[in-house]
Amino acid sequence: MIPRIESEPVPALRLRQLERDYPFFHFGPVDLEVKAGITLGLLGVNGAGKSTLLRAILGLVRADSGTVEVLGLPMPGREHEAKKQVAWVSEDMAPYGSATIEWHLRFARGLSSSWDAEYARELLNRFGLHPGQKARGLSRGQTVRLLMVLALARRPRLLLLDEPTAGLDPRVRHEVRQELRDLARERYTTLIFSSHLTEDVEVMADEVVILHDGRIVRRAAIERLRAEGDLETVFLAAISPNAGARLPEAVCA
Amino acid sequence: MRVNASTVFRLAGKDLYLLRRPLLLAVTLGAISVALARSNDHSVRSLGITLALNLFIGMCFHLVIGNVLGEREKKTLAFVLAQPVSHREVTAAKLVSSISMYTLCGLFAAAALVSLSPVGRGLTPHLLGWLAYFGVTLGGFLVLFAIVLGTALVSESLGWTMVVAGGLTFVLGNGLLMFGSRLTYLTAYARNLVHGGAALPATLALEAALLLCLLTGTFWLQERKTSFL
Repeated sequence: MIPRIESEPVPALRLRQLERDYPFFHFGPVDLEVKAGITLGLLGVNGAGKSTLLRAILGLVRADSGTVEVLGLPMPGREHEAKKQVAWVSEDMAPYGSATIEWHLRFARGLSSSWDAEYARELLNRFGLHPGQKARGLSRGQTVRLLMVLALARRPRLLLLDEPTAGLDPRVRHEVRQELRDLARERYTTLIFSSHLTEDVEVMADEVVILHDGRIVRRAAIERLRAEGDLETVFLAAISPNAGARLPEAVCA
Repeated sequence: MRVNASTVFRLAGKDLYLLRRPLLLAVTLGAISVALARSNDHSVRSLGITLALNLFIGMCFHLVIGNVLGEREKKTLAFVLAQPVSHREVTAAKLVSSISMYTLCGLFAAAALVSLSPVGRGLTPHLLGWLAYFGVTLGGFLVLFAIVLGTALVSESLGWTMVVAGGLTFVLGNGLLMFGSRLTYLTAYARNLVHGGAALPATLALEAALLLCLLTGTFWLQERKTSFL
């Protein structure tokens, strides 16, 4: 096991005045700094800007203005170095249907210098996946687990997850959450995940960011939000139209 | 931002592996079209022409839909972009794999087309002459394919790609067949080309330059994108 590092001076993520204009949607301005080793949950309704935020971090969406620094590396200038240490799993992602799980492992290993083959095998066993299986025959839950294996075996320092538990049955959802919690605890991996399910956020996150209409309307530690009451009620209050009056205090919380 | 050649070839290798079956079928059909071209029977030779032309057109559609647009449609592009690769490397790999696969099928189909043409049949014992016409045929198809491929990569739209592919294949192709003979400068150029005049090396050079411009232009336009999924 890799020893847990107690502190890391460089934040895992630093966004400054990030903005992006779409024909019917304006994202930002967003300022966000995420310390290394924490699990941050992005909570928001569909279309709040969660996926845009994750894609901007990964360099898949270029901002109109503002800056992105991933693990201290400016994007997109040092995208190559940054992406070696960042993994991403999204509900809008699929493996190649005609290829086997083994082929996917070989493909991902060939592109990653930090690939941990032993860990990949261990995860396959734990998730009940067989290397000879073709991706076409996998259920939604198995597909998510395969994508998780392919991301986690790269031993990323920053793991981005876009609605990772969407469409999963309760048992698989529990397994996936458990694996992610273990990863964050044992490997000091920074996790940033988006969800519109308050239950996911409550179980996994150390900190919560609530996004609404492309902007951060609330950021707080999960304990603080819990102290305020049921997370769903807190979330709905944060995105309600009359929540604007207490916005400055809320964002800084 | 640099492009890692080994990453590009690994990604291109992935495309070749995933399309190995249609590629094998296309190469087999290409070999059959060459064999038909050697027949003395006029009808069989015509069949060879039809097969070779269909191979050029069919592979063009198959590659842009399966290898380029299909990646987005099937959500596998997101999987590739989640790996430690840059968007520039993904674009370069798509250009390398698509052009390679099209050229591989095109080698057979162009050989069949040139051998079947009156020029090619007369040139069969003259290797250099045959190769020159073979190059012109293959180059022409590669230029047309590069236009369709560039449209698919840049627009990411099946609609626009089909408009361009259909336009080049049917409108431009039929237009040239119907009205080409009425354009005196075009017939003079064709006569010069058939007789191995200056038009032959000039056409080869023009095709090479066009191909280079199209690939560079596609890359340049891709670089200006601000959203990659």
